[in-house]
Amino acid sequence: MTVDPSDLEAVALTLRLAAITTVLLLLLGVPLAWWLSRWRSRWRHLLEVLVTLPLVLPPTVLGFYLLLLFSPNFPAGRLLVKVVGGPLVFSFSGLVVASVIYSLPFMVQPLLGAFSQSGQRLSHAAATLGVPPAAALLHVVLPACRPAVISACALTFAHTLGEFGVVLMIGGSIPGETQLVSIALYQHVEALEYGAAHRLALLLFGLSTTLLLAARWLASARGGAAAGRSAGEAAVQGPIWK
Amino acid sequence: MEISGEGLRARKLVTPLNPGAPWDLDLPARGIVGLSGPSGAGKSTLLQALAGLRGCSGEIHWSGICWQSGNRGLAAHRRDACVGFQDSRLFAGTSVAENLALVHRHSRRPLPPAERQRLLAGFGATDLLHKTVESLSGGEAQRVALLRQLFSNPALQLCDEALSAVDRPLRLRLLPQLWDFWQRHPALVVWASHSVEEIQLLADSCLWMECGRLRGPLPTPQVAARLAGGKMPEYSRIDALVTEQRAGLLRLSLEGHSLYADRVANNYRVAQAVHFLLAAGDISLSVVHPGLSSALNCLPVRLESLETVDDGRIRLLLSTGNARFCADISGFSCERLALQAGESYFAQFKACAPLGL
Repeated sequence: MTVDPSDLEAVALTLRLAAITTVLLLLLGVPLAWWLSRWRSRWRHLLEVLVTLPLVLPPTVLGFYLLLLFSPNFPAGRLLVKVVGGPLVFSFSGLVVASVIYSLPFMVQPLLGAFSQSGQRLSHAAATLGVPPAAALLHVVLPACRPAVISACALTFAHTLGEFGVVLMIGGSIPGETQLVSIALYQHVEALEYGAAHRLALLLFGLSTTLLLAARWLASARGGAAAGRSAGEAAVQGPIWK
Repeated sequence: MEISGEGLRARKLVTPLNPGAPWDLDLPARGIVGLSGPSGAGKSTLLQALAGLRGCSGEIHWSGICWQSGNRGLAAHRRDACVGFQDSRLFAGTSVAENLALVHRHSRRPLPPAERQRLLAGFGATDLLHKTVESLSGGEAQRVALLRQLFSNPALQLCDEALSAVDRPLRLRLLPQLWDFWQRHPALVVWASHSVEEIQLLADSCLWMECGRLRGPLPTPQVAARLAGGKMPEYSRIDALVTEQRAGLLRLSLEGHSLYADRVANNYRVAQAVHFLLAAGDISLSVVHPGLSSALNCLPVRLESLETVDDGRIRLLLSTGNARFCADISGFSCERLALQAGESYFAQFKACAPLGL
């Protein structure tokens, strides 16, 4: 089963987009979920709804508003163009910004659940032992919520792999720039090239399944501390206990 | 309102649990204060309010530093105070060593290496260092949580049922070590517990809490009697001086009499003041001096009073000098010996009877 080079390019582009989106969302999602889990205010529910919205909105609606947002005719669009350093419509940078918004709930929701359940209790324990909030998040809450972090990353990555509606609205189908697997697949179907479409669909299906299985295994595996292999433990071996 | 001075000053402290009975508290900067009372009285709420983990209103000052004024309070990590939770709350997903190292790194008064080693050995935690938090038993988790608190070493240490899941023999070995640690590293310790043994072995004075109302500080024996349901307590605290320590056997001086204690878990130096508990069931009474006996301890005592306890046993209150302790005997023995209050007898107990040394 061979996949033609232009399709391979689409696969590589999709993986790159999913990886960049996951990293950016991890950096953005952890503090956001942490802050949301601790924030006691009437506005919290509104913010939670806003964060969850991309999960339920039709991707075309989201794509349409992003198209407006990215337009240089609006101040927000002009600011974004300045930050990114180029046009956002029909560009890879635009796809990254859109994916971050589109996959936001997939990162934030699992983290928010874990932080609200065990994170709060452990951060109390850390605080009373003199550990400042930032260190408590890094060294206490995140290790305790490791399974949730892994799940959130896997879901975000897998969800970004299958982006279609939003990309169609703002990215078009420029090979090597905005032509993702889902777009290439759609074009194969339109051109009645079912063999090529089948190969791409199977590839995407296999990738997503493998990824989610690997995430489950990683999240349930007790690595690091159990076997005494973690960097943290190696660090305390010397100065603290000898 | 005068709330300056060393130690803990709390004024008109109100939580959702005590809306109509604000708490006032004045405690010294050093010492061990017991906190007891029925379940649900609000002990945990008080400790967490003092540490800044529970919403409350009122004034809290620690040695001149304002921790709380009205509804605004200093964040928990900025207070020189620590709560030991009933449920341990070890940091999941990490090892015991990582738990201790993190707390040591952020401690205001980090313990020197020798002290840390001593604690690890004394708490039997050296072999637990590489274990994950999830693999510990309930008792092991509580020991590590208490150890973590000692590594943090704050000026105010609030312990909430800190040894409730630890088995009794081990608990009796740990209590003198804790007492000794707090003699060497003074802090104000508030020790919340239902255990008469813990309160008597640790506390200089006690607070009593019932239905959200706080009373005290009260003398420890008074609170011990309350915990014993108003009867003479089964365990009596005896204060003595060390005169000699040989392998496993400790010779003590009590009111000019020699006593022996074996199965001693800790090291003491000569002339050191120690205290231990005597269980009423471990003491027997003789009308005349029993002469040579395998029971190493024989004290001349005066019978102060008699009280009938459960199932027909008689609890005797005995005194030798200023020391007072109880003995349990059967009603049959009491009749046979024709015991009378005010008379002199001999109390006998084995060297393994003293608890908590």
